[in-house]
Amino acid sequence: MASAQTRQRVPVDWTAVRAVVGKDLSAVRRSKAIVLPMLIVPFLMLVVLPLVIGIAARSQSHVDVSRFLSNIPGDLAKPILELPVRQQLIVLVNGYLLAPLFLIVPLMVSAVLAADAFAGEKERKTLETLLHLPLAERDLFIAKLLTAFVPAVLLSWIGFVCFAIVTNTVAWPVMHRVFVPTRLWFVMIFWVAPAVAALGLGVMVRVSARARTSQEANQLGGAVILPLIFLAVGQATGLLLVDIRVAMAIGLVVWLIALALCARGARRFTRDQLAARM
Amino acid sequence: MAAAIEAFDLTRSFGTNVALDGLSFELEPGEVLALLGPNGAGKTTTVRLLNGVLRPDSGTARVLGLDPVTDGEELRRRTGVLTENAGLDDRLTARENLLFVARIRGLRGADGVQRVDELLGRFGMIDRANDKVQGFSTGQRKRLALARALLHDPEVLFLDEPTSGLDPAATRDVIELIGSLATERGRTVVLCTHFLGEAGRLANRMAVLHQGQLHAYGRPDELAAQLWDGLGADLDLGAPADARTLELLGEVDGVQHAEVSAEGVRVRVRDREAMAAVVAMLVGREVPVYGAVPRTPTLEDVYFAIEERFGGGALEATDETTSGG
Repeated sequence: MASAQTRQRVPVDWTAVRAVVGKDLSAVRRSKAIVLPMLIVPFLMLVVLPLVIGIAARSQSHVDVSRFLSNIPGDLAKPILELPVRQQLIVLVNGYLLAPLFLIVPLMVSAVLAADAFAGEKERKTLETLLHLPLAERDLFIAKLLTAFVPAVLLSWIGFVCFAIVTNTVAWPVMHRVFVPTRLWFVMIFWVAPAVAALGLGVMVRVSARARTSQEANQLGGAVILPLIFLAVGQATGLLLVDIRVAMAIGLVVWLIALALCARGARRFTRDQLAARM
Repeated sequence: MAAAIEAFDLTRSFGTNVALDGLSFELEPGEVLALLGPNGAGKTTTVRLLNGVLRPDSGTARVLGLDPVTDGEELRRRTGVLTENAGLDDRLTARENLLFVARIRGLRGADGVQRVDELLGRFGMIDRANDKVQGFSTGQRKRLALARALLHDPEVLFLDEPTSGLDPAATRDVIELIGSLATERGRTVVLCTHFLGEAGRLANRMAVLHQGQLHAYGRPDELAAQLWDGLGADLDLGAPADARTLELLGEVDGVQHAEVSAEGVRVRVRDREAMAAVVAMLVGREVPVYGAVPRTPTLEDVYFAIEERFGGGALEATDETTSGG
């Protein structure tokens, strides 16, 4: 009790936190096994896929998607149906349907980095050295969270800028205007994507406590995350089409789950528990 | 003088396995303690408990006057640890590994770089400073990890196998360094090692752990006095003693123990008179005695004698302040 009170009074040592984050990211940058998937997947999802779909949609612009859109209940598809027919396919795909898929980027990046940051220390046998340093458990935990969260969100945002450039460029002959980001995209980027990054992190914090290697953590984490995310994407695609409120609500739910997982992980992130599992 | 390290009845289990069972001892500032015992004896658990990484199930400790459980951060600022595994990040360079720890320890900017390079130079690693650790040999890793443990000039050092993987010259340098840290700088050192020779050269005190229990604690000479009375000597007979010579020695009054050595025979006798009788008997039987060198038991002798003795109960500690679990 006394030690908990003392710990609360001590401010976070941000210099130490920065040192841990800097060390971890320097190390990650040099690991091709981590960096390549983190770059290739966003490149495929946010550059190649919209490019291919954009070109296909442009050449198939006579395809009438209004029948498909009219099956969506309520007025959800109304903003797309109001567009000229030749613009509907490209707006539907690049403006809306890709948005949930985009969430795979922050999820994957945060999960991979968190596995390396938490389980990777055990695997490399560097955890004990960390535990013998004058570094508060809370500061070490914050540093490890930031190591995964900040790059995941930044990479998502950078990826989105690339996506917007590619999508608007390829669609220009049809659209004659910049149509991405839509309002839905703004919600995805600034609200849902960070929440999903936090969710990947929260799952990995829990999983890494038991895993002995980052690969094991990734496998365990993937087994938990992927079915959830595909279920969510499948269920949400229709609703996310145009309803910003639904997207906001989904983001809120994801945030709450992620924070609960991280908070629980933090309670178990003690030197004693970490050392006992080494 | 206040003790540098005090442990009172420290106990810690992992599940049903009792890793440490009632460890108690005291160590004065500037002393070197050799923590000895086979794998799984509880040496690493002891270091983790004393540095506040693990919490004891029962018992307490004070290191530099601080409680490792409640003052862990403050304590770890003043201690340095070399873990059995060097614990370096292979993906970083030698300098980056050290700079990271320097920053955590408050050595930042130019001061940190200067201190890191000073230690890299001292451990012969400056020309590998910008190389990734991935390609380093065990010895190079060990030197780097030692440099890291000394970055902040700690008052108490916990060193787990500091010379394993080092070549003979580097081993000698490290032993001299540890010795000078204790004798010249007054640093307290807890040395976990399997190399009894180096422990014998460095340690003022030894603790023998076995399955989490302290079998013996004290100064090696005091423990030797508890184990053996009388005098020991190496007799140079020009060749290893034969069975007949050993038999004859066994018949001399006052001979407690005799064993073959490379040069002849190693004997332990009751007193000076018995030693004279041994030499007289050998000469009388026309066994040439080229030399007789008194032999003080080494830490190695003491350790193996203690190991041999257990099966039974714990050795009586040589200090009133100590007790085995």
